[in-house]
Amino acid sequence: MNVDWRLGTKLRNRLELLRYRVLGTEIDKGILFKLVVYFILINVAFIYLKPILYMMTTMVKDAKNILDPSVIWVPRTIYTGHLKEASEMLHYGKSFLISVSLASSVSALQVFSCAIAGYAFARLDFPLKKLWGALLLFTFIMPPQVTILPTIMLFKQFGWMNTFLPMVVPALFGHGLKGAMFVIIYRSFYSTLPKELDEAARIDGAGSFRMFFKVMFPISRSATVVVLLFAFVWNWNDFYFPSLFMFTADNVPLSITLARMAGEMAQAAGAGEITVYAESIKMAASFLIIMPLLVVYLVMQRWFIEGVERSGLVE
Amino acid sequence: MRRLEARTLRRLEGSLFIAPWVFGFLTFVAFPLGYSLFMSFHQVKIEVNKTEYAYIGFKHYREILVANGSLLYEELIPFLKQSLMMIPIILVFSLFVAILLNLKFPGRTLFRVIFFLPVIFSSGQIVQEFITQGEGSLSMMQSLRIDYYLREYMPAAWASPIENVLSSFVLVLWYSGVQILIFLAGRQTLPASVYEASRIDGSNPWNTFWTITLPGLVPYIFLNLMYTVVDLFTFPSNPIISKVNTTNYGSSSALAWIYFLIILTFVMLTLLLYRRVDKALSGR
Repeated sequence: MNVDWRLGTKLRNRLELLRYRVLGTEIDKGILFKLVVYFILINVAFIYLKPILYMMTTMVKDAKNILDPSVIWVPRTIYTGHLKEASEMLHYGKSFLISVSLASSVSALQVFSCAIAGYAFARLDFPLKKLWGALLLFTFIMPPQVTILPTIMLFKQFGWMNTFLPMVVPALFGHGLKGAMFVIIYRSFYSTLPKELDEAARIDGAGSFRMFFKVMFPISRSATVVVLLFAFVWNWNDFYFPSLFMFTADNVPLSITLARMAGEMAQAAGAGEITVYAESIKMAASFLIIMPLLVVYLVMQRWFIEGVERSGLVE
Repeated sequence: MRRLEARTLRRLEGSLFIAPWVFGFLTFVAFPLGYSLFMSFHQVKIEVNKTEYAYIGFKHYREILVANGSLLYEELIPFLKQSLMMIPIILVFSLFVAILLNLKFPGRTLFRVIFFLPVIFSSGQIVQEFITQGEGSLSMMQSLRIDYYLREYMPAAWASPIENVLSSFVLVLWYSGVQILIFLAGRQTLPASVYEASRIDGSNPWNTFWTITLPGLVPYIFLNLMYTVVDLFTFPSNPIISKVNTTNYGSSSALAWIYFLIILTFVMLTLLLYRRVDKALSGR
């Protein structure tokens, strides 16, 4: 009897424990909840990864693997010929250097000029501040298509067509591709900092310039990482501006050579040259363009995610 | 006297800081903006070394809006309908993912790294490549024959935009990278102490979400709404973008302006709605 009772409690305790393990003391602590979360996350992650996996497996398939219906994901042999061909068609060496220098110079300029403007908007006083603030929002909302034609005419007047200046010079002044958004990011970052920071520096006799370069810019590292990554990636990927400002140029970034290559291939297909390789070559080209970004992202991701959490990316 | 001087000095410093941006704004935004407005009222003829303008009033606008409305009504309106449906999907999805990514669990960093990948891809030509590969569609669509039911039971004007959204559903997810970021950053601003208090009071996570997380995220929902509207209007598949080109400066400018006014209306509506919601929430 006694033993029986003891066994019953033990069992009940076990069951209780099991319930706690599975459902948790609170819902979001239990195994069941975690399983559901993992299930959803893995599924969505798969959606994001699938095109990339597809790209990487397709580009290493040779003719035998492409035609073999039993090969879907994992090719039997790895063939690098498509990569070579794609890199030739893209003029990879030259265009890569151009893309790197263009994207990094524009993003560096944007980080710097947008930080200055954002700092001024957040912490300094100047005439008509409200008006300029409204115009900043306006710039953010305005699609580039509204101003693109006069901008082309303006740059033609300057003789800047087919050079990199149309992308670089606006960046110097805190504009350029999505410049308004970067100014807004910096503005919201700087407005979260405590007021005492300025006051202390002012008492120490530092002017706004020294204040900015010695204190403000260095401590805005988390916002800078976010802006730098965005600016680099978007400028690297951008097709619209280079296509209008330098389509007839010889030295063009990768986004343009990719478009040219796609055009050439479509023409070849239209002329009746049907090849099983087209797909693989396209994927190889896509991979060649994405890979540098992936490397940059994987190197920067730690600071980037930290930056997103800390930067008051939003106010 | 000294105080006044200090203030003027400060304003002077501030002006120096903002000067480059203002200069850039005037040259690269304000001037082209005014010029495109000017061109939209003119017949523009470009010759080798000079450009001729003939004033024609609202003719370009009338042509686009009334006489030759096929571009606006047959291409833009379906696109707008499609965007209208994409916006809530993007917002709900990114909010959901951001909340999941905010939980603490092993492997969180890995998932975060994966979920920010769209930020890298979605701005490029690569996504276009994926669309043509059919990577944008859900295979479930064909197997369940959803498109068939849609056509059967929906008014024709809405069936095809819905079908477009569904067939590019994965793509919609691809375009929520920045929105996830914004929500995740916004979630960090909600103090942990409030969550602890609600936990001690015995509130379950479901209620906590509706009473604490969601109201706290309202500003970010609207920020995201604005970002999404702006982003969608410069979408690569947008029919207007390729129509603004150098073949006819005058009518292209008019088109761009009509388009811009539509965007402004959308954004203004968003802001108005935000004011309302904000007032209602703070009044509570």
